[in-house]
Amino acid sequence: MSDQSSSRPSGFDRRAFMAGAAGSALMPMTARAAAQDASAPAAQDPSLPVEVTLRVNGKDKRLRIDARTTVLDALRDHLKLTGSKKGCDHGQCGACTVLIDDRRVVSCLTLALAAEGQEITTIEGLATDDRLHPMQQAFVDNDAFQCGYCTPGQIMSAVACVKEGHAGNEADIREYMSGNICRCAAYPNIVAAVKQAAPEIMKG
Amino acid sequence: MTAAAPSPKANMGQPVPRYDAAAKVTGRATYASDMPLDNPAYAFLVTSAIAKGRIDRFDLDEAKGVRGVIEIVTHENAPKLKESKLFSNGGYAGTTIQPLKSADIAHDGEIIAVVVAESYEAAREAANRVKVSYTATAPSASFDSTGTTTAAAKGQNAQFKEDPAVGDFAKAFDAAEVKLTAAYDTPTQHHNPMELFSTSCAWMGDNLVIYEGSQFVYGLKHGVAEQLGIDADKVRVVNPYVGGGFGSRGSMTPRTAIIAGIAKRLGRPIKLVPTRDQGFTITTHRAETRQEIKLGANRDGKLLALRHEGAEVSSRADAYCVGGTKTTTRLYACPNVDSLVSIVRADRNTPGFMRSPPEVPYLFALESAMDELAVKLNMDPVELRRINDTNVEPIGGKPYTSRSLMACFDEAARAFGWAQRSPQPKSMSDGDWLIGYGCAATCYPTQMGPSAARVRVQRDGRTRVEIAGHEIGTGAYTVIAQTAAERLGVPLEKVAVFMGDSDLPPAPVAGGSNSTASTCSAVMMVCDQIRQRLFKAAMPAQSLTDRAKETVGLGQTPATQAAKGDRPLDIEKAFDALGVGVVEEYGEWKPEGAPLDSFRAMHNGQVRLVGGHAMKDQIAYAFGAEFVEVRVNRFTHEIRCPRLVGAFAAGRIMNPRTARSQLMGGLIWGMSSALLEGTEIDERNARYVNDNLADYLVPVNADVAGVEVILLSEQDDRINPVGVKGLGELANVGTNAAICNAIHHATGQRIRKLPVRLENIEV
Repeated sequence: MSDQSSSRPSGFDRRAFMAGAAGSALMPMTARAAAQDASAPAAQDPSLPVEVTLRVNGKDKRLRIDARTTVLDALRDHLKLTGSKKGCDHGQCGACTVLIDDRRVVSCLTLALAAEGQEITTIEGLATDDRLHPMQQAFVDNDAFQCGYCTPGQIMSAVACVKEGHAGNEADIREYMSGNICRCAAYPNIVAAVKQAAPEIMKG
Repeated sequence: MTAAAPSPKANMGQPVPRYDAAAKVTGRATYASDMPLDNPAYAFLVTSAIAKGRIDRFDLDEAKGVRGVIEIVTHENAPKLKESKLFSNGGYAGTTIQPLKSADIAHDGEIIAVVVAESYEAAREAANRVKVSYTATAPSASFDSTGTTTAAAKGQNAQFKEDPAVGDFAKAFDAAEVKLTAAYDTPTQHHNPMELFSTSCAWMGDNLVIYEGSQFVYGLKHGVAEQLGIDADKVRVVNPYVGGGFGSRGSMTPRTAIIAGIAKRLGRPIKLVPTRDQGFTITTHRAETRQEIKLGANRDGKLLALRHEGAEVSSRADAYCVGGTKTTTRLYACPNVDSLVSIVRADRNTPGFMRSPPEVPYLFALESAMDELAVKLNMDPVELRRINDTNVEPIGGKPYTSRSLMACFDEAARAFGWAQRSPQPKSMSDGDWLIGYGCAATCYPTQMGPSAARVRVQRDGRTRVEIAGHEIGTGAYTVIAQTAAERLGVPLEKVAVFMGDSDLPPAPVAGGSNSTASTCSAVMMVCDQIRQRLFKAAMPAQSLTDRAKETVGLGQTPATQAAKGDRPLDIEKAFDALGVGVVEEYGEWKPEGAPLDSFRAMHNGQVRLVGGHAMKDQIAYAFGAEFVEVRVNRFTHEIRCPRLVGAFAAGRIMNPRTARSQLMGGLIWGMSSALLEGTEIDERNARYVNDNLADYLVPVNADVAGVEVILLSEQDDRINPVGVKGLGELANVGTNAAICNAIHHATGQRIRKLPVRLENIEV
């Protein structure tokens, strides 16, 4: 028999770090909130909401959110852009991949405050004028998904993969698309889709 | 046409793109946690840090001090819930361990508190500040732990009625010229669908809406109603899209009724998105097994004796088992068979079905043993299967409805280049890489369940199909739309399909590969009711000819042939004659041999699958053959699997595109089951160690080079009206054995324990 005194809430280490981060590393940003607020001592409380403006799919969105809110949760819970998915919240699966200033980023490991002033592109911002983006069309043509949950992340990652110049051959595509897990294992079809869309994306 | 859309062979439908393709590539497909809620509160779970013992005390002061916390629910103030029996005992639950009921802890990671707050961030922080004092007892983790109990499955698991046996195994084994005895181990595995195990609950007065990814909306609806003690008609489960199931969402987990109860108390919608690691303990898993196979054969390779024994780990509370001997004792001709399945009880959460639950572990043993026997006999393993192929299963002497096992072997062998294999182990290499070729058989029972459907047609041909089926990535929307379009003779783009909603007509659980056979048979039948009404209206004076009867679905000709009649239906003319705007029909279909209470059970969310070996005068299975190439680095022992080739025959293929994708994914699952997947258990604490997607290895794109899927044409008119066998769980069976067989060919080393890691190779 032993007496333990601990609970096991999830992701304890990273979350504890993030909670700490909100109170230290992010102080410059929360300090701005303090400057706007006359009651400075209360505003320094890291659990108070802060104001942030995110530029998402070409539009500025003003939010009052917890300083610890990730880009992913800001999109999903505050902007109702639920295309980006939460599959692990640890940057391990890639389902939450969005483009930030054209770079692919796991939005679950990116704080919304840190993305201010940058251009966020999500799956909802890819199609133009009701026409599918070439990568979206290629995913349809090649049946590059089954349940579809990882698909928005796969597609955002694939667009970046092509633009990075990592879609020159199948081996490269496989390697550079390996940050996105597809549990249904549509991988060969994803490779075929990236191959199909790559020339069109590079052209245009 | 891309490789993704193979040209249909005989008895195959068109490879049309997925019905839900556009929604899925644009982010418009809405999964459970995407559903909008009005002013939701956010829940975060706290789970147990011990596997056995009791909670002495919670210290919640710090947690309650977190800004935005609304309520913290523990066993001391949890909503009172009624018990639900295990699904196999007439209930709905995947476990009878009910968290938050008392201070007792039954397994590591059990839910012990739910924190509800104004934001996800606050709920998470408060959950991390919950302090718990336990009195812990040393738990029994698995096979080698002290304190486990072991007993035969028969007698304690209601669905495992008999250990299959025939003839006199002991005598025949004794007398056999060639004998093999070998033991095989398979690991704990977790489904890890990409969608987390989210649950949102919203009450409107006395009515509850649940948004949760489920493979059985009727089961969940009735289970939650039972636990809450309310009328099932007041509960609605909605999930138009499910982010992968693989069995993990087939039975009710305790979280749903807990969240529903808290939402009711707070008078506010609640959204729960559990973390990935919590998913390892708040749902089910594939249990680890230990097996032993004994094979006796004559020198020509003819099997004379087969014995298969398996032990599976379950929880203290529930006698769950998969009992794969029902399949392995029937796959090959053998006059003397014996078997035994036992259940080992440990301090773990209750396991459950995971993609091909019985066949993945049990065929690993049998198909490895067949390869070992072939080596002993100095015989080609394909030929050993041919010698023991049979059209009659040996236990009950029933004929297979159709069986294309050897045709699959021959097709796949040809495509793979099996003839180029030099049979000696360690005889093929490429630089630093030892090359091995291996093969194995796969099979999966054909199962069906009662299903209802509602179909509505308008004068312009616009058609609406309603059925509480489930789109878990299988292509269910697509094949149902195809079935309706073909049967009614309307263009595919005019067909709309509504699924994933327990307010729609009931369909069976999306499990056991029964969905296409069941739902499409129901939809076909209801479409025929509509055709019948329309035909009668259009030709009131005419007595229907035999041919016309077939056209309207009244004849005896198998549906697949009758679909295209010589007398196309003029829908507009029929509508004019009827003088109505809409024709709507509802119908209930049940498979032959379904129990008497089938339809009642269907409406009550209870599963009544029939098929496989349990049919009256016949036995129905889908078959396949799988060939793999492995490369083992002679210095680093790195193992790679550059080629997977599978040939499959599963009756009518509704859509070669979605079928190929599912089989392809299955082959990769099979590879993964051999080389990657295994949940590690800390034996001291009965705790899963690698409970995240970085440490629980699943394949990524770079792990998968060449996969080839061959669809064989097969017609089987004896199984169900659509002639479908089901293939969602066919391809990931046997692959694990094929890979170990190939590793033996590459290295000369026989590996009987999964997963195979490079440290297990001793070249």
